[in-house]
Parts: sequence; C-alpha cells; structure tokens
Amino acid sequence: MGLLSWIIVIPFLTAMVVVAIPRSQWKAIRWVSAIGTSINLVLTAVLTYRYWQVSAADAVSIKSALFTKLYFVEQFPWFKSLGIQYYVGADGISVAMVILTSIIIFTGSLASWTVETRTKEFYAWLLVLVTGVFGVFLSYDLFLFFMFYELAVLPMYLLIGIWGTGPKEYAAMKLTLMLLVGSAFVLVGFFALYYASGLNTFDLQRLAQVRYPDHFQAWVFPMIFVGFGVIGALYPLHTWSPDGHSSAPTAVSMLHAGVLMKLGGYGALRIGVYLLPEGAKMWGLFFMGLTTINILYGSFGAIMQKDLKYFTAYSSVSHCGFVLFGVAALNLMGLKGAVLQMFSHGIMTGLFFGLIGMVYGRTHTRIIPEMGGLGKVMPWLATAFYIAGLASLGLPGLSGFVAETHVFLGGFFGNPWSNGMIASTLTIIATMSIVVTAVYVLRGLAAVFQGPITDHHFEHLTDATLPERISTGVLLATLIIVGLMPGPFIDLIEGPILPILNRLNESGVLAAVR
Amino acid sequence: MLMLPEIIVVLTAGVVLCLDLFLTERSRVILAPVTLLGLALGFAALLVTPQTGDLLGGRFGMDPIAWWFKVIFLIAGFVTVILSMDLLDGRAAHRMRGIGFRGEYYTILLSTIVGMMFLISARETITLYVSLETATIPLFVLTAWRRDHVQSGEAGLKYVIIGALASAFILYGLSILYGLTGQTSIVGMSAKLADVPRPAFWLAAAMLMTGVGFKLTIVPFHMWAADVYEGAPAPVTAYLSVASKAAGLAFMFQVFYRIFGSELAGWTPLIAAFAAVTMSLGNLVAIVQDNIKRFMAFSAISQAGYLILGFLGPADNGVPAMLFYMLVYILSNLAVFACIVWYSNETGRERIEEYRGLSLTNPIMALGMMIALFSLAGIPPLSGFVGKFFLFSIAAKAGYNWLVAVAAVNSTISLFYYLRIVRQMYIEPIYEGAGTLPVRYTVAATVGLLSLAVALMGVIPYFYETIHAQTITWLASLIG
Repeated sequence: MGLLSWIIVIPFLTAMVVVAIPRSQWKAIRWVSAIGTSINLVLTAVLTYRYWQVSAADAVSIKSALFTKLYFVEQFPWFKSLGIQYYVGADGISVAMVILTSIIIFTGSLASWTVETRTKEFYAWLLVLVTGVFGVFLSYDLFLFFMFYELAVLPMYLLIGIWGTGPKEYAAMKLTLMLLVGSAFVLVGFFALYYASGLNTFDLQRLAQVRYPDHFQAWVFPMIFVGFGVIGALYPLHTWSPDGHSSAPTAVSMLHAGVLMKLGGYGALRIGVYLLPEGAKMWGLFFMGLTTINILYGSFGAIMQKDLKYFTAYSSVSHCGFVLFGVAALNLMGLKGAVLQMFSHGIMTGLFFGLIGMVYGRTHTRIIPEMGGLGKVMPWLATAFYIAGLASLGLPGLSGFVAETHVFLGGFFGNPWSNGMIASTLTIIATMSIVVTAVYVLRGLAAVFQGPITDHHFEHLTDATLPERISTGVLLATLIIVGLMPGPFIDLIEGPILPILNRLNESGVLAAVR
Repeated sequence: MLMLPEIIVVLTAGVVLCLDLFLTERSRVILAPVTLLGLALGFAALLVTPQTGDLLGGRFGMDPIAWWFKVIFLIAGFVTVILSMDLLDGRAAHRMRGIGFRGEYYTILLSTIVGMMFLISARETITLYVSLETATIPLFVLTAWRRDHVQSGEAGLKYVIIGALASAFILYGLSILYGLTGQTSIVGMSAKLADVPRPAFWLAAAMLMTGVGFKLTIVPFHMWAADVYEGAPAPVTAYLSVASKAAGLAFMFQVFYRIFGSELAGWTPLIAAFAAVTMSLGNLVAIVQDNIKRFMAFSAISQAGYLILGFLGPADNGVPAMLFYMLVYILSNLAVFACIVWYSNETGRERIEEYRGLSLTNPIMALGMMIALFSLAGIPPLSGFVGKFFLFSIAAKAGYNWLVAVAAVNSTISLFYYLRIVRQMYIEPIYEGAGTLPVRYTVAATVGLLSLAVALMGVIPYFYETIHAQTITWLASLIG
C-alpha cells in the first residue's frame, strides 16, 4: 500500500480502533483519535515534501500539458467488467486539499475534547467521514470518487442529529437530503460521461482524452456544476448551510464548513471544467452571475444574524461563493484564486467554528447581544477570533487577502469566451461584499469581546485550555504563514491549474468522440 | 444429480411432516433444526450440482442463472426458518396468540421453496405454471397462519384473491401463446413467435406481464402488498418480501428472456415508465407509513422499481446486474426483518416510533439494522450502492438519462424515510426505564453475518464478477 492509500485508510483504522475500545474508556478514545489524526498530519507533511521533490522535475513540461500530472499513483482494477478501478493519485490541488483536511481534522478532534455524550460513536463517525473526504481528494476514478463523496456526506446526519443543538433533526435531515439530491445530479453526469466516451472506463485521466460534442457538454456541465454546487453552497441551493452549520457540534461545523463545502468547488473544477471545457465556456458567465448573488447575499445575510454560528454560516456562504466565482471565471488567476480560497476559507472558517464552540462551551450562549466584554476574561480566544475575522475580511498579510485578490483579478480580467463587460461589472459588484464583510465582522466581534462585561457570570470564565490552544494555534499559524508567504503555495497549485487552462484554450486538440 | 437439491428439500418436507406425527409438543423443538439441516444439505447439494444440463427430456434445465436463483431461495428459506423458530417454539418474550403447528408450518415453507426452485428450472410452460402455483399457494396459507387474528386472516384472503387473479392472467397468457404456436416447450414456443400474428401476441405478452407485475409488485399491480405484509406474521413477511419477489423476478426472466427473447425489445419505454412510477409511488407512500411492516412493503415496492431498470438494457448487462441486486436486496432485507422479528418478539412493538432508543438498548441489532437500511438506500460502500449503480448504469446506457435522474432522486427520498428509523434508533431518547434487550445468539449471528455480507459484497468485486462471468457464458449459449 502506498502513501496515499495510507492517508485514506488511517482515519478508518482509527475509527475501528475507537469502536473496539469499551464505552467506559471514553477518555482513551479522545487520545486514540488525536493520535490517529496526528499520524495523518505527519503523513501529509511527508506527502507535501515528497511532492515538492518529484514535481520540480516536471515544472517545464507541465506548462504545455493537456493532462494533469499525477504522482504517487496506485491503480488496480476493481469491478473489471464495468471498467471500475481503484485509482488514487495526487497533483498539486489534491495535495493542497489533503493538507487542509489533515489540519482541520487534527484541530477538530482536539476541539471536540469536551464531547462527553456517546464519545465513542462521535469519534467513530467523525473519522469515517474524514476517510471519505480524503478519498474524494485523492481518487481519480469517477466511481471511487462518487463512493467517497457519499461516504463523506452521510455520517453528517448522525453527527448533527445526535450531538447537535437547536433544531438539530430538521437541520440534519435538510442538509443530508439536499446534498444527496446534488449528488444525484452528479451521478447522472458521471454516467453520461462514461457512456458518451465509449471507453468503458471511469478513469478520469482517460476520459479527459475525449472531446465530448458541444451539445453534450452543454447539458452535462451544468448538471455537474449544479450538483457539486449544492455542497459548495451555490445560490439558491445554499439553504442547508446556515441551518446545518449552526446546529452541528463544533468539530462537525469545522469539518463541514472547512472541508466538505470545498468538495463542491473541487469537483466542479476537477471534473466539470477539466473534462468539459466547452460546457464551462458556455456556462461560465451564468455561474459567475449566480455566485455574485452568493457573495452578496451571504454577506448581507450575515449582518442580520444574532447567533454567532448563523453569522459564520452566512459568511461561509459568501466566501464559498468566491470559490465557485473563481472557477467560473475560467482564467489562470480565477482558478488559482478558487483553490487558494478553498484552502484559506477552510482554515479560516475552521478556526471560526472552533472558537465559537469554545466560547459557547463557556458562556452557554451564542447570541451576540447577550455577550460582551469577553475579551477581558479570555484574551487568547478573543485574539484568535479577531485574527480569523481580519482574514475573513481580506486583510493583507493573512491568507484571505491572497485568495480574494486572485479571485477578483481573475473575475475582472474575464476570459475570451464570454462578455468581458459583464464579467468585470459582476466582479465590481462582488467586490462590494468586502465592505459589507468588514461591517459585520467588526461589529459582531466588537459586540462580543469589547466593552464592559455584560453579565456577571462571565467574570469567572477561563481562557483557552491546552488542547484548545494547540488547536487554534495550528490554524492561526497556517493563516499567517500562507498570508505572508504565499509563493510556495501558489506554485503548488499552479502546476495542475495550467493543464486545465490549456484545455480551455485548445480543446480542439483532443480526439473528438464519435 | 441435477435435481438433487430439490429432491433433498422435498424429502425434508416429508420427514418434517412425518416426524411431527410422532413427537410430543415439547420435543417438536427439534423440527426447526431438522428443517435447517435439510436446507443446508440442499445447499451443499447445489454447490456440487453441475451448472449446466437438463433432465426429463428438456423439461427441467439447469444453468448459472437458475443456480444463482436457487442460492437466493435457499438463503431466504434458511434465514426465514431461523427467524420463525423463536416465535414458534414459544421462546419469544412477547407471545403471539394463535401461532403454532410447527410441523405444518415448516412443511409448507419448504414446499414453497421447492416450488420456486422448480420455477426457475422449468423449461416447459406447464411445468412453469405448476411450479409457480406450488410456490404461491403455500404462501397464502402462511400469510393467514395466525388463525384467530383478524388482520392475518384478512391478509390471507386478500392475497388469495389477488394471487388467483395474477395466476389467471398468467395462465391466460400462456394459453394464448400455446394456441398460437402449438408448443408447450419454451424453446419451441420462442422459435415460432416471430411468425405469430401481432395483436394476439401483444395480448398474450400483456397478460403475462400483468401477472408478473402482481408478483413483483409493480405499480399499479402493487395494492395487495401493504395489507398482506402487515397482516402476515413477521417471519412470513420477511419471506414474502424476499423470496416472493425473487420468484417474481425468476418468472420474469423466464418469460422475458426465454419466451419472448428479442420480441419485446420495443417495450423498453413502457418498462421505463413502469419503473419510474413504481419507485416514485413506493417511495412517496413509504414516507407516511407508521407500521414498520407496511413501511417495508412500500420500500420493497420501490426496490422493485429499481430492479426492473435492468430490463432496459441488453441481457448481458441486465441479467448480472439484476441478479446481483436481487442477492444484495434479499440479504439487506432479511437483516432488516431479522431485527423487526426479534424486536417484535421481545417487545411486541411494530410501530416505527417504538424503535426509539434501540441503539442504547441493543447496540448490535441497531447497528445491523442501520447497515442494512443504508444498503437498501444505496449508501456507499455498502453493496446496495454498488447494485444500484450497476442498475442505473444500464438505464443510462440505454439512453434513459431522465430515468437515472428520477431513480437517483428517488434514492434520496428513500434515504429520507430509512433515516426516520435510524433517527428513532439513534437520536430519539430511550423508553423510560428500558434496560438492555437480550438477543439470542442465533439471531445475533444471523444479523451479524447478513450485515457483514451486505458490507463486504460492495467492496469485494468477486461476487459481482462471478455472477457476471457465469451469466455471460449462459447468454452466449442461449444466443449461439
């Protein structure tokens, strides 16, 4: 078994170990999952380092390539008669997403230190879910991809339903069903790709060699984009997100907003734009329009929220809009920005939800007007919150700035296949969200942390514990490192973006199908 | 040798019936193990039976498809006996009145199994019809087994009437075909069909399909299912939901592939429409069900809708996909019913909301039930997902992309109602003062094995690839 398979399997094995531990030893369970997720973190570091080494050699040849170059490939047949394989590999985007996932699940399992009801099941489901997420980012067979995708969505139902707060059953059901309807669209798209190619394979790299007819791309691309758009909170299919995220327990919100929503942008880019460049050209502007609504709607929605979690969830809708906006811009800046935003928002929102969980664990309220002056009693949490907030409004020096700049530049410059005027106008409209974001972030944080302490119960609250400090510290460090030194990171994702771009520019080169 | 499994099962039925005469009520406990032994021997005989060949001048034939169906029937029968024995032997904490007569019960159960086994091997229309009746009539009796229970009697009566109607359709269809071709052998009939006048042929085909529709619970021929499932004793419902459906599919294979061959190639739009209506109606009605057996009836109806997607494509894709799905379906459904039977035996509860807190009162059974339900809903990596994926891919290949979308959305709807049960088991609070519920090792082992099989068959390609390879050779021989 290769490195990538280990990365996928280790969370699952950890889950199995967790299941085997007796219920009474729930403290041991937390340690087991912390250890399991740190092993993943180490493996991810190894993967990143080795990827840097091996990919440097191909830096020149990739510039004109039409197919993304995969490393650490493991490929063997699975259901032979249907051409289904076990096919995992990694390119720069996969590596970036694996880094994100490893960080979030590590910090998430530390942030769940306080889960004391049915601890065993909680960690088991959380780890199964993460197995699915790693699988999606690393698999290059559509069947395998879909299998992991559904595996990542379903445990959410129980995680929110059992350990959530508020109208948790409603939120869990809404989230699960909406995401699965999205995946139904994706499935139809996959079948269409499979049969139209006539190759009897779900191999993504082989399907990429096919040039699908334009009329085919015209309906399959929106199918796939919308299907993935549901999990990427594409307007108007985002409504599961505020309810789901605010009802979910801390680690689940972190993982869901941080990583799972990125599956949407990742799938739209990796499968939608990569396999169906013509369809992307036809629909690019339309989806730019939809995601502009996303960006504005999310940020205006956040202003009105009284509950910290709803507040962050709406802000997530807005920020995930940037991801899909960048994808729909269809140029180098836009696509790079989309991937950067996936990473940056993942870390940032993970931090947000983690912190909200920690504050809620102390104050037992998430309602903004009920809180005030908390910065005096919990300076660590307040500082972390402010840094996350500043990253969210795109302050230079933090990762959000790098990502959003790319996305806006990409959107503004537009692409040769759609009306540049409209694209630029949409971008200008979308940019206004930055101002709105500044308003809600600063107002919200000021209300919670500044001013006099509103409730005497708050005076005796404690600051972050050690697991919480590690958890927030790791996330903060990532935000700052990527913000100050984005170079290596941009290089990492530029490699695989170039082939996607080349395909857009010269998709006539591909062999036409039938 | 070819008929050895059937002979063993028939002999077992005879032995059980005779033993019953000489045993006291207390010692009748051994009847269930004897039945299980007979079925196990039949299964062992099946393993050594050659997969091709015929007997009785070609009236009885064996091929890989028949072999797999017999595997399905024997598994269904075996598990049903395990599920029945606690209830019949009086070990259930919650006694059900009016249930007893173990000797007769097992004999009748064995005879329906043997009828089904003959059904798929029949190569001649009279044999086909007689084995169909042998498979169905005992089911009427089993349905009405709780003699002093009004619902059970009503279910039996309803089943008799509808079953007789379906049989009449089938018999009429077969008679017309006989009149048109002058043949009773399936091969002879099929060879002459091309020259038969069309209107009469369409009439016969429509009659047969209607009859099959009743057996497979295809909408609009599904009305009997819910009442019969609800009224029958739970182990019988388990058997009905799997074996009778498998028998319907076996009959459909006989009619669709062997008799009509390529004559019905133009019927795919009709089948697509039936599939769409069946899965949608089954799913939508299942949402509002309250009683878990009724609920499973509608779930089974929608599953039949997915199943017939396999008829849309060419036989070399469709047959292995449908056989695999049938295998997956019976394993998942039996696991669910094992939990239902056990829970009703222990507590007498059969309503969905009465399952609350099961994950705390008995985590193993709850987990087994959840795995099986997720498999029915088609959640990866369980085998139900793989099975559905294959079936949907056939519809996609035949160009029915809209149907794939309908089916995929239906899968989501079905997840909604399967999650209702999961929610009761895992999320809702436990009954006040409820302690842990005991489970006998036989039932626990059955649920464990079934859910393990459900999980593994989706990941290990061996099962599907074997079915695929074997049925491909069969199809080659049929065409060549």
